[in-house]
Amino acid sequence: MSFKSAVITFPGSNCDRDALCYLKDLTKGEVHNIWHEETSLPKVDLVILPGGFSFGDYLRSGAMASKSKIIDEVVKHANDNRYLLGICNGFQILTEIGLLEGALIRNKKLKFLGKNCFIKKKFKNNFNLSIKDNQILQIPVAHNEGNFYCDTETLNLLKNNEQIAFEYCKGEFSNTEENINGSIEAIAGITNKKKNVLGMMPHPERAYSDFHQSQDGRLIIESLIS
Amino acid sequence: MNEELILQHGLTLDEFQVIRKYLNRDLSIEELGIFSAMWNEHCCYKTSKKWLKKLPTDNEIVIQGPGENAGVIDLQDNDGIAFKIESHNHPSYIEPFNGSATGVGGILRDIFTMGARPIATLDSIRFGLIETEKTKYLLNGVVHGIGHYGNCIGIPNIGGECEFESTYDFNNLVNAMAVGHVQKDKIFYSKPKSIGGLIVYIGSKTGKDGIHGASMASDVFSEEDEDEKRPSVQVGDPFMEKLLMEGCLELMSSGLIESMQDMGAAGITSSSVEMASKGNVGVYINLDKVPLRQPLSAYEILLSESQERMLAVIDKKNNHKVKEILQKWQIDYEVIGEITDTKRVVFESNNKKVVDLPVEIIVDDAPEYDREFYIPRKRKNKDFDFSKIKLEDMIINLLTNLNYLDKSWVFDQYDSTVMGDTIREPGQSSGIVKIHGTQKVIGASTDCNPLYIRINPYEGMKYTVAESYRNLIACNINPLAITNNLNFASPLDPNIMGELVLSIHGLKTAAVKFNTPIVSGNVSLYNQTNEIPIKPTPVIGMVGSNMDLNKINTNKFCEIGNKILILGKQLTKNCSPYLLQDQKIAFNICEFNDLEVLDLDFEKKIANCVLELSDLKCIMSCNDISRGGIFSALLKMQYKDMGFRVKVPDPIDLFCEYKAGYVIEIRSKDFEEVTSFLTKKGAEYLEIGEIIKEGIEINSKKFDYFDIMNKYRNDFEKIIS
Repeated sequence: MSFKSAVITFPGSNCDRDALCYLKDLTKGEVHNIWHEETSLPKVDLVILPGGFSFGDYLRSGAMASKSKIIDEVVKHANDNRYLLGICNGFQILTEIGLLEGALIRNKKLKFLGKNCFIKKKFKNNFNLSIKDNQILQIPVAHNEGNFYCDTETLNLLKNNEQIAFEYCKGEFSNTEENINGSIEAIAGITNKKKNVLGMMPHPERAYSDFHQSQDGRLIIESLIS
Repeated sequence: MNEELILQHGLTLDEFQVIRKYLNRDLSIEELGIFSAMWNEHCCYKTSKKWLKKLPTDNEIVIQGPGENAGVIDLQDNDGIAFKIESHNHPSYIEPFNGSATGVGGILRDIFTMGARPIATLDSIRFGLIETEKTKYLLNGVVHGIGHYGNCIGIPNIGGECEFESTYDFNNLVNAMAVGHVQKDKIFYSKPKSIGGLIVYIGSKTGKDGIHGASMASDVFSEEDEDEKRPSVQVGDPFMEKLLMEGCLELMSSGLIESMQDMGAAGITSSSVEMASKGNVGVYINLDKVPLRQPLSAYEILLSESQERMLAVIDKKNNHKVKEILQKWQIDYEVIGEITDTKRVVFESNNKKVVDLPVEIIVDDAPEYDREFYIPRKRKNKDFDFSKIKLEDMIINLLTNLNYLDKSWVFDQYDSTVMGDTIREPGQSSGIVKIHGTQKVIGASTDCNPLYIRINPYEGMKYTVAESYRNLIACNINPLAITNNLNFASPLDPNIMGELVLSIHGLKTAAVKFNTPIVSGNVSLYNQTNEIPIKPTPVIGMVGSNMDLNKINTNKFCEIGNKILILGKQLTKNCSPYLLQDQKIAFNICEFNDLEVLDLDFEKKIANCVLELSDLKCIMSCNDISRGGIFSALLKMQYKDMGFRVKVPDPIDLFCEYKAGYVIEIRSKDFEEVTSFLTKKGAEYLEIGEIIKEGIEINSKKFDYFDIMNKYRNDFEKIIS
């Protein structure tokens, strides 16, 4: 059975096309692009909230997008136990909706960070099944507010429920710091309790094609399909 | 009209008399404003026009040369590439964040106005010495501004240059370049098609920002001006621009508009006058219809440079559909006038014609000056003393000079991988992106050698073009065309004017030889503050292509054990300007020897060798040799745990500049094939060493690899913090 997916576009999304290509190339299945003002969502296996600056990131990153018309449908999709992936701005939107815990605050150095970063999986879930323990993935980040923060109580919950999907790490020969943006416990991506919703700051859709510097981003879609 | 008012508008009294005589009546204040905006350097090129006309602007691949919002070249099939560079120097000095941000915004609009989707940006930024009080503030603000705008709208920044030099202490330079992809059969021009077409205003509401921006950009600065001129800097909103871009591209691909013009410098005035002039028609605009952010007078509306605004011409019957699409993107839209057959520009406000001028007097009769210029005196030959110079010190001189250090601090603040088509990111000899959905790639590089050009404007400019050329060649990108941004001090000084004239001549010579026509550009004059003129800085943006992305070279070392070869011809120590300056051997500009003549045929010959060897897959990595010589090129090529071991007759040679200089990495097994190929082509080469693990060795002397690489990679941030 073919894998069906959809990408939501908000005004200011700028990775929606990248996400569409990522899904088309890797799933080989039906891929829909949904405008934020739509009020229905086709029945799909995976929805991606893409990166960008939805509504200019005015007010707070992701805050305005979390009130868009389509969001009710996105929440229903998640409650139906189907997959929802928020990348970068999408991760910020998921925390604003409340589907994911914590918040993404400004990077430690208070500067936008656009470079390759290295991550590895922390706890197993359906998004990272195909990734080996301790395997280091090279995937670009591009964000100003990617510094994951939550209180101790929440952090303990995230750990106890094994909701931490990815953490930043040092790459071989790389000049990059271990924790590039200052996230608490170097968290790069978390899931909800049921582990069908993942938010992550790195952009797997920029690291999958042969001409990309790395193809490690494939592993996420491969995990979901397998 | 009183003289003071005329002079305040940046017009000379002679220029005013020309207008007065032509019209045979007094001007309204609005009309004076229009001439102020249209007759300044920025809009009418009155000083440079005579010389710019001499540049080669056409060949078999040029679809659109200078004169439109951007130049367009043919990339086979239905693919066209639109590109242009533009300066935002003065605004970026007064207000670095907004000044540079709107520089990026403006150049992106120039690209999508042509119907092209922007696919990459580059920049060329120059600051004073880091010790100068304001430099850190300017650097932080400019980089933040460029990043903020480009990141938000989602166009990858793929490269550029960043230089620190004392002549920019009080006059930094910010040049932004953008590249877009357009389907050849869907290029849009500013020429309106039909009389009676509706003129529509699309985008942000008009406010007071940027009034007189274009005339400010054509003025000499003094330090006291700074606070006073701040209101002339526009404020950018990249989110609005993203919506505007998507909205406009959707309108264009739906075939709903006839022509489009970006409201950039000199706002609604310039865009409407251009439209009328291009189409040889007239325009009528009712200023009361212009969407406003705050109450403005007719004069202010005409001269506002509020950002993220477009003017388009549509057929009446499409009005409703246009509105529908723009509503979806939440963009303001208003019909404000129409195309007429009067060949006059008419603006109405409160039922009164405030402007009624023939297009001819504004555009065709704009002043054109043949300013006096001096040719630099011939330089005396001087032998410098290199006997006291030590290799260790030479390396330290490089590693303590910001111009040589890795600039990740700058480009890590830019998103360079958004759109998913980036192949080479900033920090390599050229930035490369793929044309979406094809195997074709576009490479681009921005360059300038101000020191060379001050020494010898004609030869220096040839070297500058050659540097861009080499940057592309090193990646196996075939150079195709040029956009230029001529940054100079005041042309009223005949010495400066001489630099302008001669460097344009050098640009012409090189562009003809390389068959890389100039298809777009920008001139920024009066770059001097407190009477300190900047070094001549005519920046080149060169664009090239390769039809097969698998053939692109990397600039980074590939494998331990591979051999390192040098192609090209070294400049002699006495004639290697950056060696002399950066190794603190020559201090004053008068001391330098003249440049060696650059043989452009030789450049082409070596370049062809690199291209052929790359296609044969014999080149594992390649980098051009520029400022800092072979040593600096090798530092840039360093990757992972790889270093180098080299042997040369004289270690100083490692720091000299080159003609047609390239470092190439080849496998031992290809050595015979490569060297016999080069010999057959008559190209000299020098085998200087090999790639080794975690080491830097020069003439058997071992250096601390980790210390050098650590300084090279991390000290930029330390020095500027």
